[in-house]
Amino acid sequence: MTSLIRNPLTIVWALLTTVTIASSLIALDGGAAHQINTTVTTAVLLIAGVKAQLVIWHFMEVRRAPVWLKATTSGWVVGLFALLLGFYFAGL
Amino acid sequence: MATAPNPEAGQDQAWRKNRKLDQWIAFWSVPFFFNLFGLVFVPLSWMMPPRSPSSTTPHIVDFMHSHNLLIACVILTLAFGLAPVSNACYLMQIKRMSVSRAFRYSMMIGAITGAIVGMLFPMFCFGLGAFRPGYSPAVLTMLYDFGYLAFIGSLGCFCVMWMAFGLAILLDHNNILPKWLGYYTVWQYMTELIAAPVWIAKSGPFAWNGLMTFWFAMTLYVPWQFIVYLCIYKAIKSQPEAELDNARPEPQRAA
Amino acid sequence: MTDVAEDSATGVDQSDRAAGARGHVPGDPSMWFFVIGDLLIFGVYFVVYMYFRVQNHELFLHSQARLNLDIGAINTVMLLSSSLFVALGTAAARAGNSADALRRFWVALAFGAAFPLLKMCEWIPEISAALTPGTNLFFMYYYVMTGMHLCHVLLGLIIMCFVIRNLKTSQQPKISFVETGATYWHMVDVLWLVLFALLYLMR
Repeated sequence: MTSLIRNPLTIVWALLTTVTIASSLIALDGGAAHQINTTVTTAVLLIAGVKAQLVIWHFMEVRRAPVWLKATTSGWVVGLFALLLGFYFAGL
Repeated sequence: MATAPNPEAGQDQAWRKNRKLDQWIAFWSVPFFFNLFGLVFVPLSWMMPPRSPSSTTPHIVDFMHSHNLLIACVILTLAFGLAPVSNACYLMQIKRMSVSRAFRYSMMIGAITGAIVGMLFPMFCFGLGAFRPGYSPAVLTMLYDFGYLAFIGSLGCFCVMWMAFGLAILLDHNNILPKWLGYYTVWQYMTELIAAPVWIAKSGPFAWNGLMTFWFAMTLYVPWQFIVYLCIYKAIKSQPEAELDNARPEPQRAA
Repeated sequence: MTDVAEDSATGVDQSDRAAGARGHVPGDPSMWFFVIGDLLIFGVYFVVYMYFRVQNHELFLHSQARLNLDIGAINTVMLLSSSLFVALGTAAARAGNSADALRRFWVALAFGAAFPLLKMCEWIPEISAALTPGTNLFFMYYYVMTGMHLCHVLLGLIIMCFVIRNLKTSQQPKISFVETGATYWHMVDVLWLVLFALLYLMR
């Protein structure tokens, strides 16, 4: 049981869950008024990007994958969130 | 005494004796049919890219009475019969796969209903506008809606077809078609599913001419359609003659 | 002996260190073709959503307020937990520990099955409150994207059942099949992480 808790995968999960709750709270408090809020949006999207990268890197085991797979998946994360934030700020 | 064989007659005999002739005829009908289809729908009638679902009545009436639409409908009426022949290419390959016959039947029914609803219905609707002048604008508007919705909204049939085809490829132990094509076909199914909102949205990205439901779907569909027939070409070519349905048993050697 | 077992349980096999230099592609490479393609396709949907959102800020903000953020967050944790147990189960299967792997996959399945159930708890009240895909562009996006995602979840659950069956019934479970199913499931998780941020959280 303790080996499960000390398992790196579980630690990643704990981080992911904590950060999920944190970003939900940010959205609830900071964005409660349901108005445009660049701080909340940037925070929330960056956190989502980090979460996605963590799942891909650790759960999907890309950290042990060949370079081309690492590059492709990381490229997707970076590219997607860059575009999302880009369109968001460009449209303000 | 053996006579020298006439080389020309030999060649003639060769292609007629080709055991895969039936498959090749079906296969080569495809570019012919698809090009004709493309001609009919795009430069001739400008049905594609789809016109707006929120077009005004005078625009719709003009379109339904247009000369080009008439020519398009004539060609479609004559060429429509080739649709089943193109579909036969898929069915011939799925027959060779190790999967249950249910996949082939699902694909067949999907193709049949898809062709009826997705091609025949629009042909009737736009044909009525083109061949029968004298309908009221209200009726023409209804036919316009009916035709386009049938064409793009008939996604259910194609969902079944592509899901059956994709799954069959993925589960096939004989590896008739490559696995990545199976996955690409699953994406085809997904884009058909994304077209479901066309029944509701009359404008914007989810209308039948929308960014999400039409344009993006096309960027996935067009390469897929080419690629799938390329893979089928390779599959027909590489099929061992002994496996063919019309393969003759090995002649008995004289003792 | 126990050291090796513990090491394996943490997912760091002896062989992995050697393979580390070459890189190991988990599962069937054609599944990765599907995963990358699906990520790209959904990526396009996400960006197009953002494009239309910034043109309709007011509409999207007010519609977003009607969503159930609590269920959204809980669902996120459900999928994350499910992914954790899939990853743990895969590591156990690789170490040859089928019993552990089976247990972990059952847990993963339970967490995963909670997702569609919670989604119904979200959708049914919303539809009863007359918030349908036809209500406005935001809700069209909401239902279409979460609907597509839900289809992916259901497919993933089916695949997981096949993995469980393989672990249960065969003497030598096919590790490649387990890894392939796991890869698909994690992709479903990643997609939801982005959806959650775009639909529920961002302002």
